Amino acid sequence: MEAVLTQHLDPAAPLGLEAYRGVGGYRSLAAAFDLKPEAIIKTVEAANLRGRGGAGFSCGVKWRLRGVDAAKPRYLVCNLDESEPGTFKDRHLLYGGPHQIIEAVIVAAYALQSERAFIFVRGEYATGGNGLKRALKEAEAAGLVGANIGGSGFDLQIDVHLSAGRYICGEGSAQINALEGRRPNPRHKIPRTSIKGLWGQPTTTNNVETLVNVPHILLNGADWFRDLGINGGCGSKLYGVSGKVQHPGLFELPTGTTARELIFDHAGGLAEGRSLLGFLPGGASTAFLLPEHLDVPMDFDPVAKAGSRLGTGGIIVLDDTTCPVAVALNLMRFFARESCGFCTPCRDGLPYLAQILAAIAAGEGQVEDLALLEDLCEKIAPQSFCAFAPGAVMPLTSSLQCFREHYAQHIATGRCPFGKANEGGL
Amino acid sequence: MSKLQELEKHLAQLPPAHPERRAAVVPAMQALQTERGYLDDAAVEEVARLTGLSATEVEELATFYSLIYRRPVGRHVLLVCDSLCCAMNGGKQLLTRVEQMSGVSLGEVTADGALSVLPSICLGLCDRAPAALVDGEALGPLDEFALAALLQRLQGED
Ligand SMILES: Cc1cc2nc3c(=O)[nH]c(=O)nc-3n(C[C@H](O)[C@H](O)[C@H](O)COP(=O)(O)O)c2cc1C
Ligand code: SF4
Ligand code: FES
Repeated sequence: MEAVLTQHLDPAAPLGLEAYRGVGGYRSLAAAFDLKPEAIIKTVEAANLRGRGGAGFSCGVKWRLRGVDAAKPRYLVCNLDESEPGTFKDRHLLYGGPHQIIEAVIVAAYALQSERAFIFVRGEYATGGNGLKRALKEAEAAGLVGANIGGSGFDLQIDVHLSAGRYICGEGSAQINALEGRRPNPRHKIPRTSIKGLWGQPTTTNNVETLVNVPHILLNGADWFRDLGINGGCGSKLYGVSGKVQHPGLFELPTGTTARELIFDHAGGLAEGRSLLGFLPGGASTAFLLPEHLDVPMDFDPVAKAGSRLGTGGIIVLDDTTCPVAVALNLMRFFARESCGFCTPCRDGLPYLAQILAAIAAGEGQVEDLALLEDLCEKIAPQSFCAFAPGAVMPLTSSLQCFREHYAQHIATGRCPFGKANEGGL
Repeated sequence: MSKLQELEKHLAQLPPAHPERRAAVVPAMQALQTERGYLDDAAVEEVARLTGLSATEVEELATFYSLIYRRPVGRHVLLVCDSLCCAMNGGKQLLTRVEQMSGVSLGEVTADGALSVLPSICLGLCDRAPAALVDGEALGPLDEFALAALLQRLQGED
């Protein structure tokens, strides 16, 4: 498949305005202004572009449901907080092609008739954020951002917000609190942020990978985009593969490419003589898939059917030298630390899970611990205030099912079957 | 004009209760930290003054955000990832080695004030595991030699 989103990415020397225009950059603005907002939204919906931020919600449907008569001012937020372990696609987009992001934000803001847009960049990507600010200044100077863009009568102000750490800032409503300068814990689901979001105004949030597809859809059409996918997928997807593979990396491939192809053909497979234990298909907050799932297309619906979530499409590979108990402990420590602390099941429950896992990993587990872990996971997920905790328990619940005997051996023998140090044994 | 002066100029034009004063709290904390190395009590007061928040509200945010420091840190802050992909590729051992080789334990500052080392969540460098970040520069995969060269550069400067 010919590269689309990564065709002009170069983190070492990202294209400046003139060079980017030289390869066709910003051409989608004219197409957008000719097509008018409602027609853009129809095209995006017809393309079946699903949210790359993890939930896979149809972008066109999200934009249509926002409604043309939403109260003004309306805001667009480009979510570039990427902090999910195993995920690095947005980093490549940011460092390699800042102008592609700005073009996408202009077109999306025009489609939504939103005159103010924010690009929310995680604090650890400060250098990339500075490159984005420089590109924005170039675009403003060239009249691509600001008043009456290209004589279209459309005005747009774009602000780049550099955050200051914490995974929860990637959650849509928490991100809006962060933009307002409030404590970034999530908001209640009602009212939806598309109705009452940033400063109480209708706000649309999309992941940056989702947005950068839109200009290409406008220039080449919905059918072109759908045909890029395979096995029922639509468009191209930025897959990441990391963990126990020889050539970890980012691969732009047809949506629906199988895990086998990604792990063994593109990421160089496992180390010599090793075999696959399992993999997380979409970053840390997804359920484990096993060798029997290697031929499942890595697309939202097939992965859901296999019992996990595509999420960010950041595959993390475990091989037969990896202790699943140590993996579960590492993940639970991550989630316990990144809890925003707003609600008790998550704030107090996740550290408790980590404590039990640490005991098992250290060979001090009790027989009843496994039932206790499962019971706690079942109670935490539905009681918590936002989707963070359900995501946090997902890998643990599936690990207890997929790798039961590893846990049992730790408890029975009082040591890790891999002979690894009790905690670092990854 | 420094970032802080830029921010002050921008905020001066806003009426006292304008929501964008509060919205400037993160950039204000970042600007003061860039100038002073970390956010001390005086800086917290100044951010409160700039944004119209109370010092307690600023404190709430300063201690929430992991990249805002309320205690002294080194001129260079080396963030070493301890999340899954890095932990699977030697990240935990790397953290221990950094402490040993730099002579500073996590969260402390070297005697000459040059370096602090902190564990970090996934840095979005999982394709370069085990990974680290210092002064906005991505590092990884960090093996023994790369680490030695890095520490030499960071600690051997002056
Ligand atoms: C705990 C948590 C963390 C999240 N982190 C991110 C993130 O870093 N980047 C992102 O784009 N979406 C993230 N999301 C999803 C957002 O809430 C939101 O659904 C998404 O940005 C919408 O964009 P999309 O429809 O284009 O995917 C997160 C969700 C949760 C519950
Ligand atoms: S589930 Fe966790 S992250 Fe979400 S609101 Fe509760 S404490 Fe905060
Ligand atoms: S897990 Fe270390 S950079 Fe992602």
